[in-house]
Amino acid sequence: MRKLWYVARHEYARNVFKRSFLLAILSVPLLIGVNIGLIAFMVSRENNYAPVGYVDHAGLLADPVPAPLGPSEAAITFLPFQTEEEARQALESQTIQAYYVVAPDYFEASRIELFYLKEPGENAMGQFHDFIRVNLLADQTPEIAHRAAAGSDVTVRTPDGRREFHGGPTFGAVVPVMVSVAFIGLLLMSSGYLMQAVVDEKENRTMEVLATSLSPAKLIGGKVLGIVAIGLTQLVAWILVALLAVLVGGSILGLEWLQNPNLDWGPIFSVVAIAIPSYVIACALMLAVGSTVAQSQEGQQIGALFFMLFIIPIYAIRVIGETPNAAPSVVLTLLPFTSLMTVGFRSLFSVVPVWQIAASAIIQTACAFGAVWLAGRAFSLGMLRYGQRLRLGEIIGKARVTTKGGSRS
Amino acid sequence: MHTAEVSHIAKSFGNTEAVADVSFTVERGEIFGLLGPNGSGKTTTLRVLLDVFKPDGGTVSVLGGPMSEEKKNRIGYMPEERGLYQDLSVERCLLYLSTLKGVPAKAARERLTEHLERFDLAEHKGKKVKELSKGMQQKAQIINTILHRPELIIIDEPFTALDPLNTQLVKDLMKELRDEGSTIIMSTHQMHQVEELCDRILLIDDGRNVLYGNLEQIRRQYSGHAVLVRVAGELPAVPGIEQLLPHNNAAKLILAEGTSPQDVLQALMARGVILERFEVAIPTLDEIFIRVVEEGDA
Repeated sequence: MRKLWYVARHEYARNVFKRSFLLAILSVPLLIGVNIGLIAFMVSRENNYAPVGYVDHAGLLADPVPAPLGPSEAAITFLPFQTEEEARQALESQTIQAYYVVAPDYFEASRIELFYLKEPGENAMGQFHDFIRVNLLADQTPEIAHRAAAGSDVTVRTPDGRREFHGGPTFGAVVPVMVSVAFIGLLLMSSGYLMQAVVDEKENRTMEVLATSLSPAKLIGGKVLGIVAIGLTQLVAWILVALLAVLVGGSILGLEWLQNPNLDWGPIFSVVAIAIPSYVIACALMLAVGSTVAQSQEGQQIGALFFMLFIIPIYAIRVIGETPNAAPSVVLTLLPFTSLMTVGFRSLFSVVPVWQIAASAIIQTACAFGAVWLAGRAFSLGMLRYGQRLRLGEIIGKARVTTKGGSRS
Repeated sequence: MHTAEVSHIAKSFGNTEAVADVSFTVERGEIFGLLGPNGSGKTTTLRVLLDVFKPDGGTVSVLGGPMSEEKKNRIGYMPEERGLYQDLSVERCLLYLSTLKGVPAKAARERLTEHLERFDLAEHKGKKVKELSKGMQQKAQIINTILHRPELIIIDEPFTALDPLNTQLVKDLMKELRDEGSTIIMSTHQMHQVEELCDRILLIDDGRNVLYGNLEQIRRQYSGHAVLVRVAGELPAVPGIEQLLPHNNAAKLILAEGTSPQDVLQALMARGVILERFEVAIPTLDEIFIRVVEEGDA
């Protein structure tokens, strides 16, 4: 067992304690963070919290009711002016960012004019719009006025009552998709490392020394263990970054979306149940590829094909979104490779039936066993094939595992 | 108990018969030479011996029985297809490989320091393997083979890429290891190295034993077909000589079938020549090798 740990530690150390790994580990959350930051920056540039003036010729705002605000929204001060001249002077002296003029015939024509030197913030225009709507209902109680101004409020709930959507998707509803995408990234990265580890040892000819130092089972076991540890390191790092983002976004920046994550663990567990055998399938197949090919470049090309298989559901997202329980979605749920992302996407739009999750998990697990068998066979046959590709027929053929490979010399 | 015992092993890859019937034993504390032309089955034989391949037939016993995980720690192997982790430092690479041979990290570090100094690699221990010259990498390979102090050392072509100075260093090391009780199996094409180092040899061709035994006995067995002669004056013609070749300051007389060195000596004496040198020419291993392989091909 000790040798297995040595191999695992070696694989872990030679990959993790490198600057490139740190970059890889931080690149995904960093990229997401930079994008979110850019969007937030652009949005903040479109907002302006300076006061807004208004001249009310219609008497609509004689006794104004304040506009309703969202939980994280800062209120704009609306300043009344008796005349348009006063309002213009205030605008020119930059006391206000803009002013509205409510026409005398507003109740007939619904006409309001906006005056500004520089286009006012979107938040200011939105709040003035709500301000007018609330005050049109001034003869009602404030509760009714605010409710009417808020508009429709639809909650979509599944028949079993387990899941519901209120407005746009919540953070909790998006989490299963994020988990499936994270696992796709993880398994592609891990399986890539594993393939590289085998190809490297074939390319640098250390395989024969290793084969006479420990059994193939321990060698492969140690490699898989080391690579899984690398994957877990990556996963933990991503989870920490995600938690930090939720904490900062929800508590410090006050983003409503992140304040109440409302996690639904059912779909998350469903994704994880499929992700684990999918991870094994990917690692085992890439190990088989590594044992089969003659050069790492060739292995990387085949690895890219596996990547395409895993992301097929992205191309079918419209079908999955519109008909999450129709035959194409169910087929993609059950097939190896496509199931992981499909289940993540379907969880966003619907509730995936338990039998489909169970069937998919069983199919993935059976495929994982098959892939591990194939990988073991490919490794035994191909570990001493230097510069020669192993054919699939040889791997699946009936000849004894130990009697293949090598050359006469 | 033999250190290694190979009995009638056979091994095929698909339709290719790599080893047809090879048998030999290796005794404790000897340097055993495994010889043969390219494609004769040497490397496959070594891989079967090391349990990398299972034989289709025959039996193998190493260190008193079948190969086991524990025995792998007692064997050092330097394959013909050599390699180290190119992106690791020499020190880290060799320490990792030695831990896989069961050497505790502290002991491995101590032994490594000692060996690196002996092989003039101490100042390069922090360099990546790929930054070393081919010869230096070869020396690092040799260190890797012996760092765990194996009882049985199996080396495929140990002198490739070594300059004469380092070749001598490795030869001295092999003799030293043998004297300390290690057993060495050496596969090589360099016959003069075999003549200098090996106690016994096995020559295989087409996957079969063709010559096996004590090196000196084999050479004596193949002697008698030529004599070296130097005389005062001109060498007279004598019967039973197939060919006359110059050989340093003497003449090498290749004898015809049925002619013995004694017959030649008597003929020369009968002609009254003054002999300055007369000896049975012991063939070099190169000559024996070529002769045996050519006979086999015929």
